[in-house]
This record gives sequence, C-alpha cells and structure tokens, in this order.
Amino acid sequence: MAVYERTYRGYSGGLTPPRSRILVFPRYAYDEIFRSKLFLAFLVLCLVWSFGLACALYLPHNLGFIKAFQLDPQQVSDFFADLFDANFFYGWFMWPVGFMALVITIIVGPVLVTSDMRNNGLALYFSRPVTRTDYVLGKSLVLVSLLSVVTWIPGLVLFLFQCYLEGPEWMRVNYRVAVGIFVGSWIWIAVLCLISLALSAYVKWRPVARMSLLVVFFVAGGLAAVINVMFRTSWGSVINITDMIHVIWAGLFGVEPLNDTPQWVAWLSPAIFCAVCLVLLARKLRPYEVVR
Amino acid sequence: MTAPAEAPAAGRGIVFDNVSKFYGEVLGVNRVHLAIPPGITSLVGPNGSGKTTIMNLMTGLLRPSQGRVTVLGMSPDQPDPLFRHVGYCTQYDSFPRGMTGQEFLHAYLRVHGFDRRQSDDLTRTALEQVGMTRAADRRIAAYSKGMRQRIKLAQAVCHGPSVLVLDEPLNGLDPMAREEMIALFRGLAAQGKHVIISSHILHEVDFISDQVILLNEGYVVAEGNIRSVRGEMQKHPLQILVRCDRPAALASRVFEQDGVVEARIDAQLGGLLIKTRDADAFFLAFNRIVLDNDFKIEVVTPADEDVDAVYQYLIGGGSETA
Repeated sequence: MAVYERTYRGYSGGLTPPRSRILVFPRYAYDEIFRSKLFLAFLVLCLVWSFGLACALYLPHNLGFIKAFQLDPQQVSDFFADLFDANFFYGWFMWPVGFMALVITIIVGPVLVTSDMRNNGLALYFSRPVTRTDYVLGKSLVLVSLLSVVTWIPGLVLFLFQCYLEGPEWMRVNYRVAVGIFVGSWIWIAVLCLISLALSAYVKWRPVARMSLLVVFFVAGGLAAVINVMFRTSWGSVINITDMIHVIWAGLFGVEPLNDTPQWVAWLSPAIFCAVCLVLLARKLRPYEVVR
Repeated sequence: MTAPAEAPAAGRGIVFDNVSKFYGEVLGVNRVHLAIPPGITSLVGPNGSGKTTIMNLMTGLLRPSQGRVTVLGMSPDQPDPLFRHVGYCTQYDSFPRGMTGQEFLHAYLRVHGFDRRQSDDLTRTALEQVGMTRAADRRIAAYSKGMRQRIKLAQAVCHGPSVLVLDEPLNGLDPMAREEMIALFRGLAAQGKHVIISSHILHEVDFISDQVILLNEGYVVAEGNIRSVRGEMQKHPLQILVRCDRPAALASRVFEQDGVVEARIDAQLGGLLIKTRDADAFFLAFNRIVLDNDFKIEVVTPADEDVDAVYQYLIGGGSETA
C-alpha cells in the first residue's frame, strides 16, 4: 500500500464573517426573480402606491394647489391634519401594501426553495460551511428585502414626510403609526416568509406551491367565515391568518379592529403558524430525503 | 475577517467507530468500523449497498443512528470547521439556474468565506485543474454531461480541502477526461490528502485505488489493499495464469505440488491457469520447476487478484455493479 507524506499546506489566511456568507444566496436569486418583467412591473406598481400616498400627504400643504381650487388654506390644513392619522395609515397604507406583500410572496416564495428540493440541490448547499438555519436565513433574505421595499421602508418614509409637513406635535400624537408600520410589517414579513418557505419545501412544483399559498391565505379565510357563521362565533377567525394580522395591526396602530378577537389570541395565532412552519422546515430541509 | 479553522492534524484520518444508519426500518449501513488513511480509497458495491450513505455520514449530511464518525479528528455535525477541510462532489447534477461555471465556483467560494480576490484566484486555479478554463464563461445549462461532471469536481476541490469525497466522479467523462481526472486524484493523494471515491467501474477502481472498501447490503465485506484482501480469501484459491512453451508439461509438474488444487489449459486466457491455496509456497516451487525443466516462460500473472475478482467472490455479479 502506498504511503503518502503530507506535503500540502492548507489555507491559512483570513475568512469573511460567517453570517455575511449567507448574502451569497440572495444575490443569485435576484437574478432569477428580476428576469421576469411582469414581476418588475408589479414591484414598481407597489412603489407607485406609496408615491401616490406621499402626493396625497403633500398636496394639502401646497399653496398653489389649494389656491387652484379656491379653498381656504387654514381650513384645508385643519381638515387634513385630522384625516391623516393612524386610521389613514392603517387603512390606506398597511392594508394595500400588506396585500401587495402577499402577492409578491406568492410570486417569489416558491422560486426560492422548490428547485433546490426538486433537483437534490440541498446537498450542494449543505456540503459547505452552511447550517440549515443559514440556508433558511439566506433564502428568507430575498423575500425580506423585497417585502421591506414595499412595506415598512416606504411606510416610515411616509410617516417622516408627514411629520415634516405637520410638525412635531403630529409626530407626538401619532407615534404609534411608526410603531405600527415597523412592527406590523415585520410580523407580516416573518409570517409570509416562513409559510412560503415551508410550503415550498413540501410542494416541489412551483405552480402547486403557489396554489398552496393561495389556499392558506384565501381558502382558510373562507373557511373561517363559514365557521363563524355556522357556530355564531368569531373564533373561527383564528385560522384566518390575514384577519389575525389585521387585528394585530389594529392593536399596534390603536384603531378599531376588524373583529372582537382578543389581542393575545391574534398574536398567538401567527406565532403558532410560524412555529409549525419552523418544525416543517426542520423536518424537510435535509440534504437527503429519507424514503420510508 | 475571521481566522480559519485550525488545520487538521495529519494522520487522524477518517474513522467510523461502530457506525450504523437506519432509514426508519431500512438498513443503510450496519456496524461499520473503518479507519481510512490518506491516499485514494474506493467504495465499491452494488446499488443500495451503502456507498452514498457512508459518504453522507462522513460529510455530516446524514447523522449516524448509532456510533461515531470523525473526519481528521472533527465531528461531521459541525459544518463550519468540517467543510474547511472537506470537499464533496455529490452524484446529483444540481446547479443554480442561469449561472456560468465561473460564477458557480466563485459564489460557493464566497460561501466558504473567501473574499472576492481570493475567490477569483481559487476559481481560476480550480478551472485549470479540471480543464474547464475555456468554458468558464458559458452557462452550466449549456454544458455537456462531462463538463458538468468536471465543474462539480472543481467545486469540490476549489477551496483546497484535505479530504475529497467524490460520489461517482468519473461518470459521464470521456476516456481522455477520465485519464486527466485520475491524474488529478493521484496528484492530490500524493500530497497526502484523502480522496474517497465511489465508482461502478471496477477496472478503474483497481487501477487508481490504494485501498478499497467493499460494501454489500449495508455491511463492509472487505477493506484494505486489494492484494491483501485477496490473500485473506482462503475459500477461493488464488488463480495464476502462466504462458509458456509447454503448458501441458508444466501443468503435470505443478499439479504435484501441495496446495495446487487445479491446473488447466484455458483457451480463452491463452495459457495455463493454476489454482493454489498457498501462493507463497507455490511460487517457490514454481521457480524450481521452471529451472529444472527448462520451461520458456512468457507471462506469470495473478488472474484474480483484482477488484473485479474480489467483488465477484464476495458479492457476485458481473464486472460492473450497475
């Protein structure tokens, strides 16, 4: 038998920090996602909505615009100072962008994991210095960044813009708007990421994975409504994740909620959804599928 | 920048200590004891014998149901230190969509923690090693099977690992590419690295391996240098092929020797095929017979001292396990 003397020298230089390495995953995922012009158009549309709201916030402060309609600037200012409150941001910002975030998730979510699962690609990732947590974080970063661009980032810009226009007093009175936008968006992003990744890990065919997301978010809503009607209760809503998120948002913004579901139930419901998704991901994201 | 993991101590090798892996009720591998030294080690066995399971266990992609695996003294369940020193080429053709060969290697070197400049250098070196420099900027989707195999090998060797685990690395390669890859494996082994290969092509295994591990139905049925493995197989007499001027006369002489159980003229092999249970004693006696009787010998060679023969004796089947 041959005897080999060790003559090689391993790499002894510095390495990049472990957490920064997961940034490689989204870099190439973006390439694939933005190849779709339709998706790009939709993303721009999402931003146009926020831009439209910014115009709505600005125009009552534009003397030229007010004079064009021959209105009294003071009356207009008072009217819109009352209008642009937590209810406005909850109803005109969070609801629409929340829906847009859901559509983005349905488009992008299944792209991230299904192909790796279908092509036995996980072994490729896990034969690197990468844990399953790193993989989920890396893939989630794609959704987190895209959803942040349409939710809390423009939301906080709008809030700061309104503070600039109305002054510090409006900011003091409506500080919960900023909390609601930031915390509410992140809760929604976390729920969307985990559900889409978990479903994508189980359903390897993209169209079916997208359909499954629709089922979770829309069919479950319908089922919740049926339960509520049949049993004359509002507890059926706990399976409607979007309703629960809206109740949480309402609590954060300090506005009237959709239904009388207690806040603790509304928080518990997505927490359970997320926990279940994490368990599913832990079970499924293995480099080699065990066939029993 | 962080410091790299401590370099592994030489000589620790890859150790399987009473390792079993069950997939539910299905046996993957059972009670495996192995100590794999540096050099080229081939895993040989039929489909479902546990080759890929062994490879996945040593790379931490599977956890043993029982027992302990260590690679250069490290536990495989810690991917960060482990994959500083281990490169794995799986049997699956799986690549991120739309990437070129160069981008693919570069991206995964970044995942290993190399900065942009180092990744550029290592990518270039790995592409040269596997002969893919000219095709580096083409999309992997447009690669041939052999090119995909080469780029998979490149991603396994690009970060300079001490242990290379290669699942059927020669599949899909043309003869010239096979030669190049075998030369690459030999070069890596000559540096004192561990090169673990699974292959279905037994004559190639015989040609390149320093030691073989024969697996069947989840059990290690033989391990070590193929000649010493063959020597241990007392049940099967060693076959020696002799080509000479008077095979019939030689047959009558050697058949008188103790330990010789058969001596026949084999038309297919074109010589005298002798079976003996005591090879050392036979060769001593054989020299004397040749000198005393003035035989003109053309060839004396073991006829079944290769992986193919050992495989057939221990496991059965043809010359290819597929």
